[in-house]
Amino acid sequence: MIHHAEHLSIPGRALLDRRQFLSNSATALGSIALTNLLGIDGLLGAESHGPIIDPARPYAPRQPHFPAKAKNVIVIFCAGAVSQLETWDYKPELIKWDDRPLPGGPAVTFQGPAGNLARPQYAFRQRGKTGKWVSDMIPHLAELTDDIAFVHSLTSKSNTHGPAENFLSTGFVLDGFPSLGSWVTYALGSESQELPSYVAIPDPRGVPQNGANNWGPGFLPAAFQGTTMSSKNPVRHLAAAGVSADADQAARSLLQRMNARHLEAHPGDSKLAARIASYELAARMQLSVPEINDLSTEPAHILKSYGADDTQNPDKAAFAKNCILARRLIEKGVRFVQLFNGAYASGGKLNWDGHSDLKAQYDIHAQILDQPAAALIRDLKQRGLLQDTLVVWCTEFGRMPFFQKGAKGRDHNPDGFTCWMTGAGVKPGVSHGVTDELGQKAIEDIHPLYHFNATILHLLGLDFEKLSFEHNGIQRRLTNVEGKVIHNILS
Amino acid sequence: MKLTSFPIYLLFATAVAAAPVDFVRDVRPIFETHCYECHGEKKHKGGLRLDVKEAALKGGDNDGPNIIPGKAKESSLIHFVTSSDEDEVMPPKGERLSAAQITTLTTWINEGAVWPDGVDLVKLKDKSDHWSFKPVKTFTDLHTIDAFIDAKLAEQDLHRSQPADPVSWLRRVTFDLTGLPPTPGEAAAFLKKPDPAATVERLLASPRYGERWAQHWLDVVRYADTHGFEVNTERPNAWPYRDYVIQAFNNDTPYARFIKEQIVGDALGVDAATGFLVTASVLLPGQIGKDEPSKRLARQDSLDEMVTNIGQTFLGLSVGCARCHDHKFDPISAKDYYAMQALVAGVEYQDRELHTPEAVAARERMKQIKTQVAALEKQLSRFVPLAKSGVKRPMITARENVDRFSPSKAKRVRFTIRETNNLEPCVDELEVFNTAGANIALNAAVTVSGEKVTADRHEQQFVNDGNYGNSRSWMSNEMGKGWVMIEFTQEQEIDRVIWGRDREGKFKDRLATSYFIEIADASGTWKTVADSDDRESFDAGKATKPEFATKGIPKEEAEVAGKLRAQKIALEKQLSGLDTTQKVFAGIFRKPDEIHLLNRGDPEQPKEEVIPAVLSTLGDVRLDKQSPEQQRRAALADWIASSQNPLTARVMVNRIWQGHFGVGLVETPSDFGNNGMKPTHPELLDWLASEFIRSGWSVKHMHRLIVLSETFRQSSASNAQAAEKDSDVRLLWRFPSRRLEAEAIRDSMLAISGQLNLKMHGRGYDLFDKRGGLSGFNPVETSTPENQRRMIYAHKVRREPEAVFGAFDCPDAGQSTAARRASTTPIQALNLFNSRFTLDQSEAFASRVKKEAGEDIARQIQRAYQLALTREPTAEELNDTLPNVKKHGLTTLCRALFNSNEFLFQP
Repeated sequence: MIHHAEHLSIPGRALLDRRQFLSNSATALGSIALTNLLGIDGLLGAESHGPIIDPARPYAPRQPHFPAKAKNVIVIFCAGAVSQLETWDYKPELIKWDDRPLPGGPAVTFQGPAGNLARPQYAFRQRGKTGKWVSDMIPHLAELTDDIAFVHSLTSKSNTHGPAENFLSTGFVLDGFPSLGSWVTYALGSESQELPSYVAIPDPRGVPQNGANNWGPGFLPAAFQGTTMSSKNPVRHLAAAGVSADADQAARSLLQRMNARHLEAHPGDSKLAARIASYELAARMQLSVPEINDLSTEPAHILKSYGADDTQNPDKAAFAKNCILARRLIEKGVRFVQLFNGAYASGGKLNWDGHSDLKAQYDIHAQILDQPAAALIRDLKQRGLLQDTLVVWCTEFGRMPFFQKGAKGRDHNPDGFTCWMTGAGVKPGVSHGVTDELGQKAIEDIHPLYHFNATILHLLGLDFEKLSFEHNGIQRRLTNVEGKVIHNILS
Repeated sequence: MKLTSFPIYLLFATAVAAAPVDFVRDVRPIFETHCYECHGEKKHKGGLRLDVKEAALKGGDNDGPNIIPGKAKESSLIHFVTSSDEDEVMPPKGERLSAAQITTLTTWINEGAVWPDGVDLVKLKDKSDHWSFKPVKTFTDLHTIDAFIDAKLAEQDLHRSQPADPVSWLRRVTFDLTGLPPTPGEAAAFLKKPDPAATVERLLASPRYGERWAQHWLDVVRYADTHGFEVNTERPNAWPYRDYVIQAFNNDTPYARFIKEQIVGDALGVDAATGFLVTASVLLPGQIGKDEPSKRLARQDSLDEMVTNIGQTFLGLSVGCARCHDHKFDPISAKDYYAMQALVAGVEYQDRELHTPEAVAARERMKQIKTQVAALEKQLSRFVPLAKSGVKRPMITARENVDRFSPSKAKRVRFTIRETNNLEPCVDELEVFNTAGANIALNAAVTVSGEKVTADRHEQQFVNDGNYGNSRSWMSNEMGKGWVMIEFTQEQEIDRVIWGRDREGKFKDRLATSYFIEIADASGTWKTVADSDDRESFDAGKATKPEFATKGIPKEEAEVAGKLRAQKIALEKQLSGLDTTQKVFAGIFRKPDEIHLLNRGDPEQPKEEVIPAVLSTLGDVRLDKQSPEQQRRAALADWIASSQNPLTARVMVNRIWQGHFGVGLVETPSDFGNNGMKPTHPELLDWLASEFIRSGWSVKHMHRLIVLSETFRQSSASNAQAAEKDSDVRLLWRFPSRRLEAEAIRDSMLAISGQLNLKMHGRGYDLFDKRGGLSGFNPVETSTPENQRRMIYAHKVRREPEAVFGAFDCPDAGQSTAARRASTTPIQALNLFNSRFTLDQSEAFASRVKKEAGEDIARQIQRAYQLALTREPTAEELNDTLPNVKKHGLTTLCRALFNSNEFLFQP
């Protein structure tokens, strides 16, 4: 049932090559044994190699490289680039320098001429036991800082949303590389066999700035593509519209018998068996997906705590429902959930791209993000799920300490911004890395996003250098040829 | 870099009065114990190895050279072994070097880092000593594919399987060459008189062949109809390249010619072919940052995509790897990489006009019509009331407004908007006519107050580019206001300005409802010649009147005006029907950028300038740095398309082989380098390559050789004993059956249901509600004749998987797909079982069957099997199916057939 050489590394395959399939006797072994054999031989040892995928059960759980701290992941992805200066990276110096030019600062940034420095647009205060300064923009999330590990010194390779979202999600600025969730589910499969292993939940206001590339499989098998669903839009093609239950069942069982007869006539072909299995899996999904999306079973106090009952703010209520959906997916053992907050480019109206009137727009966006996301983390914690689940909050880059000329918003800044994690394996209440006193550039413990992604893999028990896939002559990795685990934020 | 905590004095203290440090006795043992695990023969972390002199003294990728003879203090090797920073100290794990060891290394370097020749225990692998870089073997005797295959099988004590039954072969070869199943009629004829050679000729002559094989090519070059990245704008003129590829396969264009056309087709009269150069995702001008580093990085990325594409597609080499450092495995230096960039450094990702004879003729006709229209407008203009003449002029319209004034001298014309009906104003075209009736604003210098750019839609230069409509317009960046100024090279006498929001009449928003027009003569004195104040006040609800139909002109004159206007409308209608402006996204060519070697691929760290040249270990084509643009690409094309190039023919015959057997003789079709897989049958690969060249690079000749071989004809049935020896069937002891690709499944369902529309070529049909953009894509679910064309004619939105078939490993056109995976997922099952498409086609299939088979249910079942599976149902199948069809209808069977393994897998 197991597919062979496709899942071996290049060195492994080169060995096969050289020995002409390890001569007659050894080829009889299954590929697991084969991999072991190659491992013993020392060639695979520390080298990279991919997991072995059973085509009949692509989502079957698989072992990590080393014992994992986290089993599942929820990534809260804020599209449009959230300003670090209005949220987590407190810069009192900016208050002093408010409305003065930045000496020696750039004349032109991404969108055009730079204006004067601008103070943080929200008041900051100290929170929790750690006394972390967080802004009033996000009062609910701010209460959780004792549990969070912040990285304030991240950098991106691009100052343009599209390439930068690619970089955050796939480790490459170009289109077409596998996303983090695809890598993770490729490596680890899923604990759930009745739901997609990797679910991407778009914001109720629309798709994020770089769309499907944020959950695309790139050159990994299509099985590891993120499946989109949300509280509003369930998975497509769950049922045949307009077909009676009887006729549907009849077609299904007829197909089963056709395939069984065909398999009998073609014994030993694992691809045929895998395909039959996929229809059985699909049948189970048809039942379990509508169930997971049915929030009517959630008690009123839960809906309230997330803000899902907020009739005044339908976007917030819809995002809150997505947050509840994320929790329900994790409860059922789904490996990787990507929860988007913020939609496509819209002059900052639908996402965090605050170029022109940052404060006014962030007032709206923060309402949608804050309570639901905080409630999600609390809920996970209260149910004990945070012990196994890593929650990541991220955005593609940060924003400049000065306003744009003639505007009340900040331009793109890839040189120093904040993302954070909490939950399984994360050291609570730390702030790692520092930007300069105006918050423009990372100056200490600088971490390109490669490091952040490597750390996520590490928490899942995956070695970012080992997890790789051959594509057009290159053993590709999530972190390209870079990467480093940020140990300071690990428990 | 941080200062080390290591006592500085040690760096300078040479062991006094001791014998000089000896590399073999003193230094190498330290390297062996502490460094070789990561920097030795097996691993070269950071690109550094310390076991071979040549490599060690060159140093690693990032901090090299690491050993600077005589200068221990400046040598990063010493920095790393003495660092106090936990993140950078070497070795990273295990024991640190002792003070004595550090002294030894320091002394050795300060003494000149003497590393005697000939003491190394290992040699650097010669990267150019590799099978695929050696000439293709020549053959004098007669050979057959089967003999090569049999020889390899015999080595493993294996042998070929029995031939497949004739229908299986027919089905297999028909899918393989056309991507469609044989019709029952074709099957019956073949059974009556089995003539494989004639069948293959029939299939190769079918236009369906090019549609099938072009898809394989488009996978490799990552073709799409949008620009990719965040905005994913429509690339409306990409499809002529897709059509070119289909035609090239159908015409059996010699492969060497096919290469040349795609690289330098502009010199060969095949414009659309150079679409190849610009197939990648690209950031359009308005999507790149305004800061210089952003622009440089975007240009580098777009050049990199070209070099990568050329390297992997034609040469099967990952040339792109050398962008940041010398290639780790292949003899491609970073300098080679940039020399290759220099060969394409004059290519820009843009539309170019198609120079086909039809397009040229159409353009000529357009010019004539435009002259006629201009003449008519001039005649009509006398019926347009003069501005500022006291006469009430008609209300502003979104489509077109004429402002006529008495002839005046003008060097500059400024059109200023004071108010709009909403939002920022948008103007699709501003035309200024001289008294001779010519539009002199066309392509004149233009300045604007500001602009809100949507690349390829709203840009300043579109306001006077001669193209009408919203998608070629200027948009101001200010609410309700903005101005456009046109400047002529010399003073002109003008009497009319014509402007509109959308001459195509689709958009009525963003309309200037209050404006004035000023002109300045050569002396620079401005005066207002027209404004909106004497127009009837704007009322969106009111019907707009034609400009010339003014009150108070005599009846006879009004008649004349009416006739003139009718003529004008007729001409304009002709104009919009003319296919004159057909462009192709095939790049434009300009003076090449000066290309520099970039440190670590960073455009902000340029090093020496690089001249255009081909890969130095594989050729010696080097051009002058002044060489003109086209000459560069011509040189590149000639070098690749040469029969002497060891890679070109091998790489292509391997792709063709892969198209027939699912896997190539070389399993890594775009990597023939040291890191790729070796061919399973090297002799066969070389024989095919030499045969390819001998045949005049005929792709169809290769198909004939392959599909008529006994190897291709054998049964796909497995057998346990052989599977034990070669489970992946790489030695071809049976035909390796595989699942059909996404396109073949969709196209075949349509062919079977009788709905397939065989219209070829042209603009792609819609899979989604949008053809590009950033706000998400909703699938089109209703079947129409247009979207029941073959899938290669779908408008391909980059990165957006088609809602039903995308899950069948359809490439997303982000990166190249040299070989498709065939994964199996429950999402595929849901899509294929439940989608509207399947249900619609099942219905259509059922009604076709009823029409062809009549009322008898058994005959209906028979017909359905014939159409979908090219065979009769067995008695058992008939018995099993009959009650089902009786109770639940024929559609149930049709839906099951479309989902059956027998349909989805090649026999």
